[in-house]
Amino acid sequence: MAPDRVSAMSYELSDGARQRRSPNTNIAASAHDAVKVYGAGENAVRALDGVTVDFEQGRFTAIMGPSGSGKSTLMQCVAGLDQLTSGRVLVGERDLSELSDRALTLLRRDEIGFVFQSFNLLPTLSAAENITLPLALAGRRPDGAWLDQVVTTLGLADRLSHRPTELSGGQQQRVAVARALVARPQLMFADEPTGNLDSRAGGEILAFLRRAVRELDQTVVMVTHDPLAASYADRVLFLADGRLVDELSDPEPERILDRLKTLTEGVAP
Amino acid sequence: MTRIALTSAWVRKRRLVGACLAVFLGVSFLSGTLVLGQTLQRNFDSLFADANAGTDAVVRSATKIDTRMDFQRGPIDTATVARVRAVDGVASVAPYVEGYGQLLDKHGDGIGGSGPPRVAASWIADPRLNAYRLVQGRAPHAAGEVVVNRGAAKSGKLALGDTTVLETPRPTRVKIVGIATFGSADGFGETTYTAFDLPAAQRLVLGATDRVSSIRVKAAAGVTQDELAARLNRVLPTGVQAITGTQLTKENNDDINGQFLGSLRAFLLVFAGIALLVGAFSIYNTLSILAAQRTRESALLRALGASRTQLLGALLAESLLVGLVASVAGLFGGVAIAELLKALFDAFGGGLPAGGLAFTPGIAIIAIVVGTLVTAVAGVAPARKASRVPPIAALRDVATEATTTSRRRRLLGGGLAAVGVLAVLLAALTQGGGAVTIAAVGAVLTLAGMIVCGPLAARPASTVLGAPLPRLSGMAGTLARDNARRNPRRTAATAAALMVGVGVVSLFTVFAGSLKASIQDSVGRSFAGDLAITTPGWGGGALDPQVAARVGALPQVAAAVGLGEGAARVGGSSRRLTIADPAQLARVVDLGVRAGAIGQLGDRQLALSEKLARAHGWHLGSRLPVGFADRTTSPFTVAALYDNDRIAGDVLVSRGAWAPHAVQDLDSVVFVRVAGGVATRAAETAVRGITRGAGNPDVKTRQQYVASSAGGINALLGIVYVLLLLAIVIALMGIANTLALSIHERTRELGLLRAVGATRRQLRSMIRGESLVIAVFGTVGGVALGVFLGWGLVRAAADSAQTDVFTAPIGQLAGVLVVGAVVGVLASLRPARRAARLDVLRAIAAE
Ligand SMILES: Nc1ncnc2c1ncn2[C@@H]1O[C@H](COP(=O)(O)OP(=O)(O)OP(=O)(O)O)[C@@H](O)[C@H]1O
Ligand SMILES: [Mg+2]
Repeated sequence: MAPDRVSAMSYELSDGARQRRSPNTNIAASAHDAVKVYGAGENAVRALDGVTVDFEQGRFTAIMGPSGSGKSTLMQCVAGLDQLTSGRVLVGERDLSELSDRALTLLRRDEIGFVFQSFNLLPTLSAAENITLPLALAGRRPDGAWLDQVVTTLGLADRLSHRPTELSGGQQQRVAVARALVARPQLMFADEPTGNLDSRAGGEILAFLRRAVRELDQTVVMVTHDPLAASYADRVLFLADGRLVDELSDPEPERILDRLKTLTEGVAP
Repeated sequence: MTRIALTSAWVRKRRLVGACLAVFLGVSFLSGTLVLGQTLQRNFDSLFADANAGTDAVVRSATKIDTRMDFQRGPIDTATVARVRAVDGVASVAPYVEGYGQLLDKHGDGIGGSGPPRVAASWIADPRLNAYRLVQGRAPHAAGEVVVNRGAAKSGKLALGDTTVLETPRPTRVKIVGIATFGSADGFGETTYTAFDLPAAQRLVLGATDRVSSIRVKAAAGVTQDELAARLNRVLPTGVQAITGTQLTKENNDDINGQFLGSLRAFLLVFAGIALLVGAFSIYNTLSILAAQRTRESALLRALGASRTQLLGALLAESLLVGLVASVAGLFGGVAIAELLKALFDAFGGGLPAGGLAFTPGIAIIAIVVGTLVTAVAGVAPARKASRVPPIAALRDVATEATTTSRRRRLLGGGLAAVGVLAVLLAALTQGGGAVTIAAVGAVLTLAGMIVCGPLAARPASTVLGAPLPRLSGMAGTLARDNARRNPRRTAATAAALMVGVGVVSLFTVFAGSLKASIQDSVGRSFAGDLAITTPGWGGGALDPQVAARVGALPQVAAAVGLGEGAARVGGSSRRLTIADPAQLARVVDLGVRAGAIGQLGDRQLALSEKLARAHGWHLGSRLPVGFADRTTSPFTVAALYDNDRIAGDVLVSRGAWAPHAVQDLDSVVFVRVAGGVATRAAETAVRGITRGAGNPDVKTRQQYVASSAGGINALLGIVYVLLLLAIVIALMGIANTLALSIHERTRELGLLRAVGATRRQLRSMIRGESLVIAVFGTVGGVALGVFLGWGLVRAAADSAQTDVFTAPIGQLAGVLVVGAVVGVLASLRPARRAARLDVLRAIAAE
């Protein structure tokens, strides 16, 4: 691909992003009556038990709940990494259950970014190569200015040529965040992205995610156990036993903590 | 501790399958080879035992001329029969005649393959002394009546009462009055057997009625074989001996072992060795990878207090177990391989005796011990490395093999390779005696050096060979190249297996190609004739010397010369002789006479190859004693020295010198020079008119003859390729296995790649790319090594095997490269499919 076309294309992309910045109620992704059952017969586990939820465009959503409540499962199903047992997941206008494996792959590559709970990076590739991996797979060149911005904000500028084994756990996590952002996906999912980080490093990442939502109209869904982390989000969803049990808008850490308490109290007995 | 290892081996059994398969194939081939050898030996044993069953003693000439290819024993006087009969304790006596006799079928074509003998003999009336049994008709009573064995009758579609021709080599019309079996079998292996009554056999086969080949004797009741032989020996004239039937059987067995079975076994064992060596790399690789994957487990065990020795012992126990299980399985595979090999040799015209496979405990023990040991030895290095894991490694995240390459390796590998290459160069340049041995040692050292240096070359080689990949398949290509580079030791060991196989293939290709070119070159240069009449096979056939005479008399022919083969003791050791009319020979073949003149070779003169003369310090005018099978020894004078021993051999004598001592005077080839002004085509038609009535031998034009002069090499090369295919298959499985294990190790990476948008096709192309880089690395290394060593050996053998022309058959070598690449793609098929099918989430969650 000729370089001038690449840059033209990336400008187009950023124009598109700017247009989407105006307040809107577009739904980026949604789950309808989502049920996910692992295993069969006596050992069957209902990880999701009829969840219906919308993720609006340009919003930062946090998912919380006790361990094993189905947070990761919900996120993975919405992200097209896993298939529901019943119910529907829509990304934009597309029903994921109707997409072929190839179409799903391309959807993940071009429109969705991920940060996993652990193991995010390919050990053979340098940090820079890991960051641009989805673009490379698509045969596209990264937008240089945007890449610089992402890398600088995440404090990775002097670590780009290092291999993952030469990076700390927090640095590895930040490289994963950078990878999820650099292709400018409409949707970004992060499963406990700050789990391995101290509060300052974690705060930087979360602030950056929030900026991406505000300024770039990106949609971010994040799973976390940390009320402080969740308070960076626009709203918090609470899951328990595979059901959506509560929701908070513009949350503050104390209110989140309260809800969590009532949740665990309700579950414990 | 060992129990832990065995339990963990059981848990990982699927991953060990690859290693098992390599051992399995290697052991299969080894035991198959041993079983085949054993089977042939047993079948020959029982054939000979049957043939000599009722014979208590044999009286025969004591003189034997033994060349490496065959041996000759002269006839004895018929008068001896009376002496033998008079000995006390002799119950029955059968004078016996045996020699060459080609039976023709209805169409005048020879019956029988190109390997087994064609026998004309005398029918022995006493059934106790005759291994053949009449199943139809009667014994021959008059000249022209024969008994033939059922196998020959079947393949020639001959029935009782039919008339056909037997060539001894003079054609005789014979009427089949009896059909015989050998014991209950159709024949003595594939041998064709035609028996006359004694006077006819004496006249036709020995050319004299006062001679017999041997005398078979049956002892009277109460007389042992030894006793009988001792009594006989007391009355026999000098030069005639009696041996017991048991000794005769043992001699027959030793002969077949020395001539044919021994070399066949050695030949096959070499390939079994190559297969095992290639297998050893696969085992080493598999165990290395498994050890690496288990670093954390090993470290945990160490942290919990297991000693290094305990860990080492446990890991070795595991490889011993793998070796044992696979070797036992391989034993059964060996039976199939033995059947296959037998079929293979039959397909290339071997004609081995039939019978079930012989499977002895000895074979089982050898195969199992060798297989287990090879596995254990291949497992030592990985086990040692794994046992050196520090306990702290239990806490580390990623478990991978060390990827550093040590200085020691560089020195050792470089040193070995340098010494090896120097030795090969030295041998190639000096070409003297022992050059081939030096070259062979150099070849082994070079190979060892390359294997040791492999990991050093793996990274740069992968970079170079993988360079086109990113352009061809984008990111998948880049990842493929990086994966091939990431663990040089693994890449090198995987490629080494292929390198050994391909190296040997290339070496054989180059050597055989050069040998072929050399033969064709010298035959082409020295054969000045226009047509050649040849018999099929490896020395089995023979022509009546009358053919040469009658062809020579044709008006279309200027000269025709028959070349016969004989044997005699020349200057103290047994040698093959070439027999020809020297004056005619010089008109058809350019012998490159260096000294003296061949044209006037007298009855007490011989010509020697320059090479033989030089080796023994003989020169023009030297007088050498020449002893024949009929016990006569006369001094011969060296009358000429010549260069070209490809056609004339080392010793050339005139027909006049040979004929008085020959039992049967046979030609193996007739060279023809067409008369001036006659078209070769016309002459060929005329020549065929004569050969058609003489067993229909091949008539070839000059080009055809030159091309076919090296025909035996093609057949041999064919067998060699088939055998080496096995080594390539083992290497292929080694690559597939390494890839499968690597993929298993990288499950999470693959899942991650899929999650961030790599398509299945990209994943497949990535794994295929990695496999291609490894395979091409091994193939290029193998071809380079094979061509270099082939060149070295060809040059080193220039003197001893006369490989004076070096050719690297480009087409074939390119074919080998293509095969290497195809192997790479094939090896990646299954692993790639498995990788592409991985469930994304499961993969990421994998430990
Ligand atoms: N592959 C699987 N097979 C069977 N059960 C599974 C599988 N994956 C998850 N589960 C079960 O589904 C339920 C939800 O799992 P999920 O990973 O979504 O929980 P989570 O809320 O992310 O927990 P955590 O906070 O510990 O990460 C759990 O009970 C888990 O045991
Ligand atoms: Mg989770």
